[in-house]
Amino acid sequence: MSYEPFEQNDAPDPQDARLLEELRRAAGRYDPPPTSVMEAARASLTWRSIDAELAALAFDSAVDQPASAVRSAGGPRQLAFDAPGLSIEVEVSLAGSSRQLIGQLTPPQPARIDIRHAGGITTVDTDALGRFRAVAISGGPVSLRCHPTAPLSAPRFVTEWVPL
Amino acid sequence: MGATFDERRLAQEAAMGDQRAWDGLVDRFGELVWSTARAWGLNPEQGADAVQVTWLRLAEQLDRLQVNHERLGVWLAVTARRESLRLLRAGRETQPGPDVSSGPPAATAAAGSARDGLLWRLVHELPEHCRRMLRILVTTPPPSHEEVAAALDLPVASVGALRADCLRDFRSRMAKISIKEQLGDS
Repeated sequence: MSYEPFEQNDAPDPQDARLLEELRRAAGRYDPPPTSVMEAARASLTWRSIDAELAALAFDSAVDQPASAVRSAGGPRQLAFDAPGLSIEVEVSLAGSSRQLIGQLTPPQPARIDIRHAGGITTVDTDALGRFRAVAISGGPVSLRCHPTAPLSAPRFVTEWVPL
Repeated sequence: MGATFDERRLAQEAAMGDQRAWDGLVDRFGELVWSTARAWGLNPEQGADAVQVTWLRLAEQLDRLQVNHERLGVWLAVTARRESLRLLRAGRETQPGPDVSSGPPAATAAAGSARDGLLWRLVHELPEHCRRMLRILVTTPPPSHEEVAAALDLPVASVGALRADCLRDFRSRMAKISIKEQLGDS
């Protein structure tokens, strides 16, 4: 299969085209996307949660705070997700090669939390005040699915994926 | 450049849960997402995480109309760049630094064509901004200027000139090497 090497807004220099074609071949040989990466990409569609609100990542101390502040504090990474009518704050700390999560729902309310990660799905229940803790969470992409359990509670929601 | 009819259709069908259409999107844009993570210096393990988060986010958002089906490549490149930078910053204290290895190991290079190995090593000897630019440009299929700009956080209008500069720099390095070889100085 061959691809047209130039888009419409390039000045078509045939020398550049030949060089880029050679480099493209070298990239294909030395740094192609690994098969496992492409397989994971194809499998991503099955992780959709079509019946839940999406809670957007509103804060991540890893990028929304100067690196020096994170370092000097030496504390856990802090994340916050916002869904309509509900937010969730999560502290992530390293425990060996895995992660420990401590979280809080706001406004406080009981819920069941499915933590989706590379190691599978870890389910925990919050206490009556919406606090929860989970251990042995794998590094890599993580998303939380939250099912409030109180009567007349907020709708269920799912957080954006974040690499931990 | 707008999406081709095919990409639009794939996006619409994938949004409704059609796995085959989704696979078509992964085939079309899989390398762009990987190249973006690698261009920003992520090692293969970090790159795998950045790529996976990017596709998981697309799967979650495709049917919520938060993604413009016309500009899927741009959305993917922006997301892959942001997640790559997030991983670099979050992982700074716990993981090895960015991958600044200079291309193929000697043994691998010898197994391929010598010229390919040499070219790939030269890419890694370029100044940072040109190394990034070339790493994105050599994606298959070739990315649009809009996608390159999104992946590298550049104004679209600057891509053409920067690309020409970087190719010129690359060529002059190639010329120096071939002069050295002719003088038996390698």
